Amino acid sequence: MISMNKVSKNYGSFQVLADCTTEVHKGEVIVVCGPSGSGKSTLIKCVNGLEPFQSGEIVVNGVSVGDPKTNLSKLRSTVGMVFQNFELFPHMSIIDNLAIAQIKVLGRSQDQAREKGSKLLERVGLAVQAEKYPGQLSGGQQQRVAIARALAMDPICMLFDEPTSALDPEMVNEVLDVMTELAQEGMTMMCVTHEMGFAKRVASRVIFMDQGRIVEDDSKDAFFEHPRSERAQQFLAKILHH
Amino acid sequence: MHEFDWSSIPNSLPFLWDGMKISLQITVSAVIFGIVWGTLLALMRMSPIAPLSWFAAGYVNLFRAIPLVMVLLWFFLIVPHLLESIFGFPRGSDMRLGSAMAGFALFEAAYYSEIIRAGIQSVPKGQMGAASALGMTYGQAMRLVVLPQAFRNMVPLLLTQGIILFQDTSLVYVSALADFFGAAYKVGDRDGRLVELLLFAGAVYFVICFTASRIVRYYQHKLKTA
Repeated sequence: MISMNKVSKNYGSFQVLADCTTEVHKGEVIVVCGPSGSGKSTLIKCVNGLEPFQSGEIVVNGVSVGDPKTNLSKLRSTVGMVFQNFELFPHMSIIDNLAIAQIKVLGRSQDQAREKGSKLLERVGLAVQAEKYPGQLSGGQQQRVAIARALAMDPICMLFDEPTSALDPEMVNEVLDVMTELAQEGMTMMCVTHEMGFAKRVASRVIFMDQGRIVEDDSKDAFFEHPRSERAQQFLAKILHH
Repeated sequence: MHEFDWSSIPNSLPFLWDGMKISLQITVSAVIFGIVWGTLLALMRMSPIAPLSWFAAGYVNLFRAIPLVMVLLWFFLIVPHLLESIFGFPRGSDMRLGSAMAGFALFEAAYYSEIIRAGIQSVPKGQMGAASALGMTYGQAMRLVVLPQAFRNMVPLLLTQGIILFQDTSLVYVSALADFFGAAYKVGDRDGRLVELLLFAGAVYFVICFTASRIVRYYQHKLKTA
């Protein structure tokens, strides 16, 4: 569903991504982890073209992301994305946040869009908040709304960019629960996250990045039990021992 | 000691009101056109297309480096002749109001565009990213997500600029157009009561501008607490 072939990107002389190659099949849940500055967020943002890249190729559902002829907006409307800082639209009510792109991008009617939105809000347990504004919700609630907003577009896959990093600790689980449920329903997902518990529960594969390179790309059991690279061993030792 | 004599004011109120209408007309048209044209200039300035960006930067820098009085004079002296020759208006038709409106609007757009550019840049970058990730085009993301937030943050500044603009409309006296200030001057000159009329005009400008800036402050306060 998503295939990357030797993707490289640099800011001036600084190499952010170097020859990243991987494949995500339908229904797989890929967790991308690594130390900060390793390029994992950049990698995931390249998938829907939010970050341009200089060389290599990314193909999403048969469409080449880097091809200048590709209609990026159209491609993006089929790929859901959830951001670290939620990025709900603060000037719209929650239900309008869910409806706006359905109406303007997919051409659904106001009623259809709101109905779909309400259903998804119910699914993430926030149906009563529909008429409120993002600023009135907690971080965890906002992130669940953001997930619902992405799902409202009926995406073929979902990208998560550190979805729990900006949350207070007690709100992390409510978001992970929604993501776990989604994974169990068979959604294809690529998640940049430090939540190794989540990775152990639902990941099909784990990608470990360091200095812009994909250092490990393995099944989760292999990754957690026998990480091959020294860098991944160090990383896991640091992150699992507290 | 000068003896104040206010008696010529009551009778000339209708004339002064006509002048006020001209002042308001110029202000309102310049605010509306200035914001629309200013928004386009701001978008051009931020555009990745170099010629558009250069044009907008050049426009803004040009108008911000020239005194308003001079721009108005150019418009009074040059534009009417230009219009006459282009559209075949009868020679000598009175286009002072029209050229004043155009001069103000084009001049103010330069200032508005800088306010609007700052407003757009005050919206977090992630908002554009989120809108794009949902499949919105650049235009849709700007129109539906970024600009509404930018304008909400900018309203106090835009209104304050509007108040300054209202005061600046008095500069149209250079064309002998009877705006409020011009009308007051004419009445004072006619009756030999210039000091009284100018004091009166000053008081009126003060009351209007002070009230308006209070309203802006109230709105600003409301925006902060919302």
